[in-house]
Amino acid sequence: MTTVDQPAQKQRWRPGALEFLTAAIIVLLIGQRWLIGLFDSPALQAGATIFVSIVVQATPFLVLGVLLSAAIAAFVPPAFWQRALPKNDFLAVPVAGAAGAILPGCECASVPVAGSLMSRGVAPAAALAFLLSAPAINPIVLVSTWVAFPNNPMMVLARFVASLLTSVIMGWLWLRFGKGEWIRIPRRDHLVGHSNWETFRLTATHDFLHAGGFLVIGAFTAAILNVAVPPEAINAVADKAILSVIFLALLAVILCICSEADAFVAASLSQFSLTARLAFLVVGPMVDIKLISLQAGVFGRRFAQRFAPTTFVVAVLTSLAIGAWLL
Amino acid sequence: MTREIQSVILVLLGGALLRISLSDVYLRYVKEGMKPWLIISGVLLVVGGLLALAEVLRAERQKIAVLPGGDEHGHAHGVGGPRSAWLLLLPVAAIFLVAPPALGAFTAERQTSTVIQPKEPAAPPLPAGDPVPVTLADYAARAVWDDGRTLKGRNVELVGFVTPNAKGGGWYLTRLQLTCCAADAIATKISPQDVKDLPANTWVQIVGQWVPGGEINADDAIPLVKVTSLKQIAQPSNAYE
Repeated sequence: MTTVDQPAQKQRWRPGALEFLTAAIIVLLIGQRWLIGLFDSPALQAGATIFVSIVVQATPFLVLGVLLSAAIAAFVPPAFWQRALPKNDFLAVPVAGAAGAILPGCECASVPVAGSLMSRGVAPAAALAFLLSAPAINPIVLVSTWVAFPNNPMMVLARFVASLLTSVIMGWLWLRFGKGEWIRIPRRDHLVGHSNWETFRLTATHDFLHAGGFLVIGAFTAAILNVAVPPEAINAVADKAILSVIFLALLAVILCICSEADAFVAASLSQFSLTARLAFLVVGPMVDIKLISLQAGVFGRRFAQRFAPTTFVVAVLTSLAIGAWLL
Repeated sequence: MTREIQSVILVLLGGALLRISLSDVYLRYVKEGMKPWLIISGVLLVVGGLLALAEVLRAERQKIAVLPGGDEHGHAHGVGGPRSAWLLLLPVAAIFLVAPPALGAFTAERQTSTVIQPKEPAAPPLPAGDPVPVTLADYAARAVWDDGRTLKGRNVELVGFVTPNAKGGGWYLTRLQLTCCAADAIATKISPQDVKDLPANTWVQIVGQWVPGGEINADDAIPLVKVTSLKQIAQPSNAYE
């Protein structure tokens, strides 16, 4: 950004790919021994393993997400969305929320797709309802929940209802109280190439690099917390009614477990009530550290600051209500 | 960040995914079923990066301004713009330089054992074999949720690693299970009777028989096994069950 006033921009030295690669290889050669020594402690090793595994697990889903969102940007005309969704934004929210059931993936895929929907003219409130519901109510997630809770099949229904309800409430809240200046709708005009194919490629590359960096921040934080939260803390609050619900909801935020796997972890937290575990399952796919980081990257920090805490509160309250009713 | 560097980062990350998924290293981090998806996304990233690099080089040769992107575009990316892409070098470095090992005793020690209650209340009989190889999760489920009925009188072969029992002394034969990735690992622990102490993370193969005495019908119960033979083995290529 400092180059704006320089007329002779081209002459300024910038490290090119070659210099960059050379530096990378030097670091590789001299750094390895030192780095491996650094990772001697079991806690650091476990943290590094968890960091790498979150990134490795999420990357294919992120790739899928940016390919889908780039395809929406390049090949689906904006008019399609105007026909597919009700004109009335208030009605569009539940329709978009229910449509989340058809995106089979976890939360990393839905953030770029929601961004792409907004920039193609879908009402932000509807796109946000889709963003929240897609990772929580798709068939893969519901089946894995059913498998994880063999004795409590109602858990599947409770998860479906509570997640859909939370996403619709959040969409309506945004419609009623949301301000346009809070959200940065991803702009695509600089990514329009000479052909649809070029637009597709530019959008996909840009979105991946962009969101990928934020995924790394999220995975890094999750790995540190995963290793740092003392296990005794988990058992200490298990038998407190309301506190345990809030605690498991917070744990979901910290652990950043993929929505396709969180049911099994919830099942293993058997010292907690079913309602507390429902909160874990409803909050996890909607608010977690890597997701907050991804949302801040795609929609701006001002958005994430408001959206994530509100979603957390709504998701916990919905889980309490649905848990009391169904479980 | 220049478009050149962006494309190199894509190639490096794709290369890192290919490196772990074409060998068995990826099994330290995710499930076996992820392999094709890791290969596909690795290839896509490498190809995407190379296409972008080719475009930059072509533009350079023709002395034309590179079409959109890079740090040229004016929208407010703020601190974290595509500059955030630098962070993708962190997992690349971790994979190529450190290649962190599969989770082990550190993780297992921090959790209770988890024995998931099977959907079928009565377990089917064990397959033939003397000794018959059984996974730790299967052994624990049969011992805890079916009162050891199907294990009685059978010689079983169990493979796992040593997790020291910080409270009571001795150690647990342990295996971790992944559902999706290493962040969701849960542990199965079995208590071998009358064994000498071994260092944490030692991999062992035990042949022995089920004995009653462990807690039952609780998903954090730890079943017992009477040991006839114990030998140290190398870590299996997939450390998880």
